[in-house]
Amino acid sequence: MNRIDAAFERTRAEGRAALIVFVTAGDPDLEMTAELVPELAAAGADVIELGLPHSDAIGDGPTVQAASLRALKGGVTPAQIFDLVRRLREVSEIPLVLMGYANNILARGEEPFIETCADSGIDGLIAVDLPYEEAPVLAETCAAKDVHPILLITPTSPPERIVRVAQHSKGFLYCVSVTGVTGARKQLPTDLRTLVGRIQRVSSLPVCVGFGVSTPEQAGQIAGFADGVIVGSELVQRVHAAGSRAEAIEAAGAFVRELSQAVRSARG
Amino acid sequence: MICVKICGVTREEDAVAACEAGADAIGLNFVPGTPREVDADTAARIASAVAGRTLRVGVFRDAPLHRVLEVAGAVPLDCVQLHGDEDPEYVSRIPLPVIKVLPAGPDLAARAARYPKVDLLIDSPAGGGSGEGWDFVQARALVAAGRRVWIAGGLSPANVADAVRAARPHGVDAASSLESAPRLKDAGLVQEFIDAARAAPETREQPDERGYFGDFGGRYVPELLLPAVEELNEAWTALRDDPEFWEELAGELATYVGRPTPLYFAQRLSDDLGVRVYLKREELAHTGAHKINNAIGQALIARRMGKQRVIAETGAGQHGVAAATACARYGLDCEVFMGAEDVRRQELNVFRMELLGARVHSVESGSRTLKDAMNEAMRDWATNVRTTYYLIGSAAGPHPYPLLVRELQTVIGEEAREQILAAEGRLPDLLIACVGGGSNAIGFFHPFRHDDGVAMVGVEAGGEGVGVGPHGATLTAGSPGVLHGSRSYVLQDDDGQIFEAHSISAGLDYPGVGPEHSFYKETGRAEYVPATDAEALDAFVYLARTEGILPAFESAHAIAELRRRAPSLPEGSLVVLNLSGRGDKDVAEARRLLEVRR
Repeated sequence: MNRIDAAFERTRAEGRAALIVFVTAGDPDLEMTAELVPELAAAGADVIELGLPHSDAIGDGPTVQAASLRALKGGVTPAQIFDLVRRLREVSEIPLVLMGYANNILARGEEPFIETCADSGIDGLIAVDLPYEEAPVLAETCAAKDVHPILLITPTSPPERIVRVAQHSKGFLYCVSVTGVTGARKQLPTDLRTLVGRIQRVSSLPVCVGFGVSTPEQAGQIAGFADGVIVGSELVQRVHAAGSRAEAIEAAGAFVRELSQAVRSARG
Repeated sequence: MICVKICGVTREEDAVAACEAGADAIGLNFVPGTPREVDADTAARIASAVAGRTLRVGVFRDAPLHRVLEVAGAVPLDCVQLHGDEDPEYVSRIPLPVIKVLPAGPDLAARAARYPKVDLLIDSPAGGGSGEGWDFVQARALVAAGRRVWIAGGLSPANVADAVRAARPHGVDAASSLESAPRLKDAGLVQEFIDAARAAPETREQPDERGYFGDFGGRYVPELLLPAVEELNEAWTALRDDPEFWEELAGELATYVGRPTPLYFAQRLSDDLGVRVYLKREELAHTGAHKINNAIGQALIARRMGKQRVIAETGAGQHGVAAATACARYGLDCEVFMGAEDVRRQELNVFRMELLGARVHSVESGSRTLKDAMNEAMRDWATNVRTTYYLIGSAAGPHPYPLLVRELQTVIGEEAREQILAAEGRLPDLLIACVGGGSNAIGFFHPFRHDDGVAMVGVEAGGEGVGVGPHGATLTAGSPGVLHGSRSYVLQDDDGQIFEAHSISAGLDYPGVGPEHSFYKETGRAEYVPATDAEALDAFVYLARTEGILPAFESAHAIAELRRRAPSLPEGSLVVLNLSGRGDKDVAEARRLLEVRR
């Protein structure tokens, strides 16, 4: 069974939402990511998204853009990130989702890219600027290699499109909470619950909410009605702001423990 | 792709067949006493049979609100379609997506305006569900105004393609014509209807329905932007068929932009080079470049779509100035994204934009040039997508922009073709234009695409020299990839990271190119070559001294290629060069560079 499906089976059995956290791979270097992932898993993350740094991250706000550029300046490549995943798989069974942009996938070729994902131990793929209409080959290869293509649904998605997107997604559905790019926000939109409800009505996949979720309070609110909560930019920022490597790992672990507690106590 | 709703479904097997045929939605009718009414239990069975496979739409007419909510929750429904006189207040209290049905007929626009946020279904004036036909063209104006519009009333496999051509809607809806007996759908007819609705239009012109020019184009944008891009596509598809739009645009181009621009025989240049050279004087258009053709056209579209806020990206500032100008002309709010490096190089244009009332955002990310300005504009668009029109300046970006910008720029080539025929009695042997994103070149080339004797050369930014230093020669030295929403040639490394481009000319300082140029390159219809910064600077001075015309640094690249190529052209060759912009904006930079040279 795909590790993502196993994770959601477990969280459903426990009657709670899943906690999904995002870090940019290779920010500021691969060693940091290698140490962070086991720490995040131990602190209570159910799934970890690894950002694949891209030079032109049009879906990302300043925090993740800056993280991508730090990684690229350090010379981090997709090949090195796949090697990192192989190393992580020796010590961890945490579900890993790669989140990146179409051009890094197409440059390697859709089939080789997915095959490498599968071989190295990636469980799911989010391609921010690759709508399912443009990706039939990717979908086929994903299905053959048991790498879940995870698609996004947004507040602007028309209802008939939500049905179509859900049909093309596996593992979970990524519900974008706001119109905009990634990044922490003070307030969540009020109609978020309605949107999640609409998606849950047309799909049996877990619906996870991301973009703008930055505090344990927000995570707890969302965990009350969604199947998962995704926190990215705020974690990336805390890691970056820490004084030393050890402090960064500690800060990340502490933050994820807080998030995890909020998610676990959300449904009373 | 046209959405299809199969309405009045009364049996599970019909609903499943509709899904298998590719229906986007099925309609369950809860209007008491109508022929296809279903009870709540039947509806629930049908809904459960197709859960997650198609949109389940409940059809009501002036039902008490609590009944709609009750049924919607119990069945369950994904969407509600309202056929009666339900007022906007009633509509706003439904926590599901709503399709409001309006009969065709007088005051349609005003009636539609009462329901600004929901999908509209325009039905026969004979009454909802009557199955009678009407003049589907009426719906097209709503589509052109950016509304999501479905049409219904007498649609059948036989007439749906014509109806789609007339109304250019988001979706179509049929019920009675698809039945083998009352209340029973015929699976064969349903399939025929869906296929006919989606049949590609009979044209061999590029791009195809998905925005592909051969292998290039498409829509590589975040999911958030897809609905906006599709809204624009639907609006544009409807507008292109509307003669009123083209009349309005032609009037603006004639009296405001100053079209047609002259085709000028460059005598001294011709004497010097030994070929007959005509210059298409786009630099004489209002604001000093071809960019205004596109800006005026898209500002008119933004106005019709009711988008008050317009954003644009700019490199040299020419498109930013054109966008700011068009927005001032129509009273729209304009914000321009410009790389910090370009802000420095083109100070004067920044001031021009501000004079015109635009707000200029200096973009500090990445290489701080055009590429990053466009990234930032797309991020802004994603954030403000409901209220904002993104006025892209080049024939790049996700479908329909490459098509839309080309169609607004073909006025260059259409005029030039007519003018050269009038002046010389024959078509030219060669067209030359500079290519950054490629809007002036594609607008210039396109009307000549079927003239086999007319060769075309696009001149890219060679920068410090391809193979020598940084440059912007995407088609010469790049490879296929994805940047800013479409698949085209890009400058990139093996992993797909985009390089920073370099050019003396901010307008060509771009590591991508419009997808249609990639298509022209691959099919051999046009040839693409680089000219270096140094060659462009020489050409800038050369044209000034030979013809008394200061070309923009961008257009100077085309002049450079003309000088290089002229000796190898047969005697008497006839060349038309698109002088896309004037060089006043580059005078200060030229002075600095020429002083460095000395």
